[in-house]
Amino acid sequence: MAVSVLFYIMSFVALVAALAVVLVREPVTSVLSLIVVFFNGAGLLILLNAEFLAVLLVIVYVGAIAVLFLFMVMMVGGASESAQRGQRYHALPLALLVAVVLLVELVLFAVFTTSEQTATPISESLQAVSNTEALGGVLYTRYAPMFQLAGLILLAAMLGAILLTHRRLPGVKGQDAAAQASVAKKRRVRLVDVKRGEGTQ
Amino acid sequence: MPDIATDYVPIVIVTLLAFALSFGVLALSYLLGRQRPDKDKNAPYECGFEPSGDMSGLFHVRFYLVALLFIIFDLEIAFLFPWALVLADLGVFGFVSMMIFLAVLTVGFIYEWKKGALNWE
Repeated sequence: MAVSVLFYIMSFVALVAALAVVLVREPVTSVLSLIVVFFNGAGLLILLNAEFLAVLLVIVYVGAIAVLFLFMVMMVGGASESAQRGQRYHALPLALLVAVVLLVELVLFAVFTTSEQTATPISESLQAVSNTEALGGVLYTRYAPMFQLAGLILLAAMLGAILLTHRRLPGVKGQDAAAQASVAKKRRVRLVDVKRGEGTQ
Repeated sequence: MPDIATDYVPIVIVTLLAFALSFGVLALSYLLGRQRPDKDKNAPYECGFEPSGDMSGLFHVRFYLVALLFIIFDLEIAFLFPWALVLADLGVFGFVSMMIFLAVLTVGFIYEWKKGALNWE
């Protein structure tokens, strides 16, 4: 009972926030709505007993990806009002296409899935272990190729980000810790015998 | 089936309390305080000067780089958690699998270190 009430509350908030992401004018508000969507998604995952995925959603999506979006918004700056108005319906055909495809998929799923398929009881061996352990049991062995592919994608993302955004600014002074630590006395200090009445020159 | 969701009831309660407290304090100060706004009171305050410049300053792209590099190692840690839980049952293959994964990301780590992407100029 409480679970289904919570389910409806969180789904409702998630849907409203998702609508706000695309409808709100201010880009920062849009990103904040996206964070609300992520939090509610995490709540829904907890209702499904998928603890690990819920925490992952909060850590990765809220903690990192939303911050990335915020940086993006602040780097690009808000588009000017007139430019926004011109482009508002620019992507409408593409958006409609994606929406129709998703809708068809949903309807097909609802129509062609029998109740036995959706209500398949989880096997005994899976019920004994937690969701996280069940995930770990197959991810690194049975799905090892996908796992390694994920590693390669992460590597590609890392290299791409560095290549695209990393520039050495000319004329920036920095510290070289190794050079500082390995300075010898004779390279810094010179002892000179100074005769009385004469300078060092 | 053990229901994990009930373990999160205290978290839900604390979250609701936090929302109630923060919005309650905000609402109280709004309701109890005297509201007499005028043009100068509503103007943005900038050390007594007229506000100058754009309100939304632009960020340098290097913040983006730092955030992106953070995400990648964040995900690496996320992959380590279930692995650590079931490592005893995984056998040699699971262990080697993770070591290859870590080696691939270490290549990237060495690259970004040598490239100076971790230095703040």
